[in-house]
Amino acid sequence: MNCEVCQLKELELEHFEIREVLVCGWMFAGILHTIVFHRALGLVRPKDVDMELFDITYVQCGEVELEKKIDEKIEQFVCWVEKHPNKKSRICLSFYEVKNKQASWFSNKIERLYWEQWYINLNVVQHPKAHTSKSHHCKVVDTGEGGLEDRNARSAALEASLREVLFQIIKFVNEKKDHVPPIPNLEGPVSFPYEITIPSSSDSAFGMDMIKRMLQTGHPTMLS
Amino acid sequence: MASSHGNAHSEAAKIEQIITEFFAKSLHIILESRALYMSSRNSFGDQVASSPSSSSSSSSSVRPRDKWFNLALRECPAALENIDLWRQSNLEPIVIDVVLVERRVNRDPVSFSPKRVLPRSSSMKERYPLSWNSDQEELGIESKSEKIIERWVLQYENRKTRDSNSNSRRSSNISLHTLYKKSTLLLRSLYSTVRLLPAYKIFRELNSSAQICPFTLAHRVSSFVEPFTRKEEAEMLKFGFTPVDTSSGRLCLSVMYLPSAKNVNSEPTTPMSPQVITDYVGSPLADPLRRFPLVPAPGLPSYGSPSSLPFSRRHSWSYDHFRASPPSITCSPSPTHSESHTSVSNANSRRLPPASLPPHPTELSLIQKKNSGFDDYYPSPSYSIDSSGSLPSATLLRTESAPVSIPAAEVANSPAFSNRHYLPPSPPLRGSRYASKTMNMQTGATAEKLFSLGKDEPRKYSGVKISANSSPQISFSRSSSRSYQDDFDDPDFTCPFDVDDDDMTDPGSRAESLDHGHMADALEAGGFFPIRKSHDAAVGALVHLLKKAPPLRQDLPISEHLSQGACSQTWNNNAKEPNQIPEAPMPVSMMSSGLIATRKTTADALEEFHGYREMKNLLLTRGSKHQI
Repeated sequence: MNCEVCQLKELELEHFEIREVLVCGWMFAGILHTIVFHRALGLVRPKDVDMELFDITYVQCGEVELEKKIDEKIEQFVCWVEKHPNKKSRICLSFYEVKNKQASWFSNKIERLYWEQWYINLNVVQHPKAHTSKSHHCKVVDTGEGGLEDRNARSAALEASLREVLFQIIKFVNEKKDHVPPIPNLEGPVSFPYEITIPSSSDSAFGMDMIKRMLQTGHPTMLS
Repeated sequence: MASSHGNAHSEAAKIEQIITEFFAKSLHIILESRALYMSSRNSFGDQVASSPSSSSSSSSSVRPRDKWFNLALRECPAALENIDLWRQSNLEPIVIDVVLVERRVNRDPVSFSPKRVLPRSSSMKERYPLSWNSDQEELGIESKSEKIIERWVLQYENRKTRDSNSNSRRSSNISLHTLYKKSTLLLRSLYSTVRLLPAYKIFRELNSSAQICPFTLAHRVSSFVEPFTRKEEAEMLKFGFTPVDTSSGRLCLSVMYLPSAKNVNSEPTTPMSPQVITDYVGSPLADPLRRFPLVPAPGLPSYGSPSSLPFSRRHSWSYDHFRASPPSITCSPSPTHSESHTSVSNANSRRLPPASLPPHPTELSLIQKKNSGFDDYYPSPSYSIDSSGSLPSATLLRTESAPVSIPAAEVANSPAFSNRHYLPPSPPLRGSRYASKTMNMQTGATAEKLFSLGKDEPRKYSGVKISANSSPQISFSRSSSRSYQDDFDDPDFTCPFDVDDDDMTDPGSRAESLDHGHMADALEAGGFFPIRKSHDAAVGALVHLLKKAPPLRQDLPISEHLSQGACSQTWNNNAKEPNQIPEAPMPVSMMSSGLIATRKTTADALEEFHGYREMKNLLLTRGSKHQI
């Protein structure tokens, strides 16, 4: 099966304050929802969501279950990032089809055929604190303006790159249409099964996840 | 081709249906996030109710058209109207131009958050004087600048065309399912894209009631592309969606947009501050204003809340909100509506300014606003209606700044206003030009500027009168009770201008007065006075003209009214800001149009108009210098 993979442009974040955690959450929510919206080919009543920290509006499918699942995953991811500072990490959103397969030893009869994977990459810059502390000094001296400007500049840069990622999603969706399975006759907006995999390679949690998946599907395909 | 002969017909029909629905859906998606809510007046209730962001998701019932491409959208009258028109064509391309209409503020004081506005608007104008066109220029709408910030081109390329290009490939293999799936995917990405483009920020900003914006959005739907200049084109970015192949052609969708459009957004004017008001009070003009109960500040708060927007629609309510905060607001909201709807009433109401203004704004704004925004471009009345919707929002914005109300009265006085009012003759021009092609133009709230400019002077003169008008009680009476003639007759009017202004201001300004008032106040304090003095001669000439002009007739036949309405529209256009301050501008335009239209021929009116315009410009120029 043809599995298209889209590596989204890396987002760079200085992870040193709670705010960044929020930013991180918003960014990933925006990205995940945007992707899912493009793959939710059931009847959708789009819901616009304004990111609080950015001047960006993204679209949700308006399905509660989906929102819950995404929020949950993002929370886990943010926790992971906090515990693993200075690392590159990523979330993988995969879409698959379920096929019945003749039972083989020890695996379920269900096979997941992944037809699309999206990698959302995050890079938490390692020395943000040093920078910030410097700027903090400046702040004190400059009555905070320096620090503020600094932050605004970073925020603007992040917003720009987030926007870029969202456009990247749109372009990908536009260019690659052939691999998308036929629209099933399902109720609800989310037309294809999907899974969200948090942290990327080398994470112990990820390893557990893989094991779980193997147990579930018997096919540890995909995911790096 | 791929399909068997037997199925060929039905398949072709289905393909065509998918294509048709694709066009409709695309148009809907685009206009839904570009056409200001107010714009769709036709359905007062529906649109208003829906909030921009969430509306689509809110509705629970599934309409047939929601099922197409599995995408349920919220109501968008503008889109429905356009698509109905388009369906009559044979899969012609659809070109949607999204236009940023900025009103140009001549005087800093006028704009509440003016500083930015001025430089910006003027620069914009200089840069893109031609962008929209001639109509405006002819009318002397200098205060308005329009710029296309997005152009969507939706077309179906027939195979024949394509074949020539060498693509005859496997189109035949394309199944209906695939076509439908790909169309669905394309529409999903269109939906997202529309929200990522800079224009969306502007749209959102205009739909939030809290801010007073010196600009508005309008759109034009047509089937032909009006070429950009090289310079314009160089500024734009293009995004082409991957075409969807069908067995007989392909669906193409692309957008050209201005990446810098958001700069405009960044400059949204800030809500009026109470301080401004106080200043106004201090000013000579202030006295008259003081009388007004308006002092509206308290009311203002309501505007600030986004929720108010929905109300803002043209309904009387919206007006009330706006005006309510301002002292003059008095206008009765609901009752006025009915009145406002009829153009005639508006004309009559001129004098009644205060009362008329509030009510009119809604109606007028609907019609006039539309016109104003695009009137110039699109003469046809029907279109104008669409645009009007946007106006209400504009008004709302302005109204928001409650403090302004006082200034508003002043604004009304401003000569500029009066001049504008007279402009009405221009309307005829519009009609001829665009009527046929343009399907719809909608404008947001841009009218403010116009009003503001003119208003200042009138206030001075009519200060007292204005106050009277401004009082809420008057509101209704204005529409029918006073005749234009009466106004002129009034001893109060020192100058014809003043009188006109009063009348004008009252109708339009009242509603707008707040907004204008802000502008006006600033203006007044600064320079209007000086201007007048220095321009006595000019004023005198204007007065002469006015006096000579036959009295306005309220009893004009309906047809006349319509024409007036058209005139008013043109006025609005001239005003540029009319949309935003639809109310005030509308009334004015109505009045002016009525007067001039009835008495003179279009040509005469134009001449006069030009004359006025020149004078106004002179006055404004001087005034601004003085002020500053």
